Amino acid sequence: MAEPYITLVSSLPYLTSFERAERSPITQLRLEQRLHNLEPGDAKQLAIAEGLISWRMSLAKPKTDKEMVLRYRAAQQEISQPALREFIEFRIDQQTILAGLRQSKTVFESAFLEQASGASRWAAFIASHWDIPDFKLAAVYPWIPEARSYLDNNDACGLDKLMMSIIWRRLSLIAESNRFGFEAVFAFVFKWDILQAWLARDAVQAKSRFQELINEVKNDR
Amino acid sequence: MEPLILTLGWIGLYAPLALGAVGSMIGCARAGSAACGALLEVEGGYGRYIGVAAMPSSQTIYGIVVTMALRRDLTIENAPGIFGLGILVGLAMLYGAIALGDACASSINVSKSKLEVFGISLAPAALVEGFSVFAFVFALVLAAAIPK
Repeated sequence: MAEPYITLVSSLPYLTSFERAERSPITQLRLEQRLHNLEPGDAKQLAIAEGLISWRMSLAKPKTDKEMVLRYRAAQQEISQPALREFIEFRIDQQTILAGLRQSKTVFESAFLEQASGASRWAAFIASHWDIPDFKLAAVYPWIPEARSYLDNNDACGLDKLMMSIIWRRLSLIAESNRFGFEAVFAFVFKWDILQAWLARDAVQAKSRFQELINEVKNDR
Repeated sequence: MEPLILTLGWIGLYAPLALGAVGSMIGCARAGSAACGALLEVEGGYGRYIGVAAMPSSQTIYGIVVTMALRRDLTIENAPGIFGLGILVGLAMLYGAIALGDACASSINVSKSKLEVFGISLAPAALVEGFSVFAFVFALVLAAAIPK
C-alpha cells in the first residue's frame, strides 16, 4: 500500500475525541503549514472536499440545496481519490437524509426530490417513502430514529453531536485503512474540522450568525 | 551448465548482504520519515526517535555475517546450496527490514503523543526483529553443512 505521507502524518498531533477535547492541539496556521507537504493534486482535492462538506462556517459553502448539488457534481469530476470520494458520498447521503427528516413535515416529497435529486443515491428512495418516519432506511442508517427524535425535540446540539460522532467514527476507520497515506491526512483534517466546530460553539455567536443568515435570505429576495 | 550453476552460486553468496541492504534502506527511510515528522511535534527527546529509525539497519549486519559465513571457493557441488540458502535468507532480511521500518514508524507515530507507550509500542518491532534473528541464526547453522 502506498504510504507517501509518513512524515506529514507523524507531524500531526493526536486528536482526542471532540466531546472530551478542551482545546485544539494544533492551530489552523500550523495545520496549513504542515499540509504544504501534500502533493498539489491531493491538496486541490482536499480543498474541494472541504468547501463541500466541512462543518466550519468560515468556509464558503453552498447556501441552497440546488447549489450544493451543482457543486457536488462538479466535485465528482475533480476528485479521483477513491476514499475521499467515498467519504464525500457518505456525507452527502447523510445530509440528504437529514434534509429529508427536516422537510418531511413541511414540504411535499416532490419539492424535496426537485431540490435533492442528483446528489444522493437515496433522494428518490426517500421521496417514495416520504410518510414513513425513517424512510425505510433505518436498517442501513441506524441513527435515523435518534436524529428524528432530536429534530422533534428541537435539540440542535444533540443532533450535531450525533452527526459528528458518526462522522468521527467513519474517519477513524478511514485513517486506519492507510495509516500513512492520503486517507490518514484527510481523515485528520476533517476530524480537526469537527473539533474546531465543536469547540467554537457559542450561543451569542450562533445568534448573530443566525441573524446574518436571515439578512442574507432577505437581501436575496 | 557449469558456468550457470557457478553464477547462481555467486548470486546466492552476495544475496544476503545485497537484499538485506535494500531492505534496510527502505525500512530506515520509512522509520526516518516518521521520526522527522515527529521532531516537529515534540519538544525534546529527539535522539530516541532517530535511534528507533535506525533499527532496520540490523538486517544489513546480519546479511554481512551470512555472506561471510557462506564465503568459500565455489564449486559445482556447493554452488546450488549457497544459491538456495543465500537467496532465501536474503529475502527474509529484505522483507524483515521493510516490516521493521513500518513497525518503527508506527511506534514513533504513537509515542510522540503519548511518551509512556514508547517502550511497549516497540514490542511489534522487537517481534519482527526476532524473526529476522531466527532466519539469520539458522542460515549460519545450515551454512556450516555446505561443502567447502
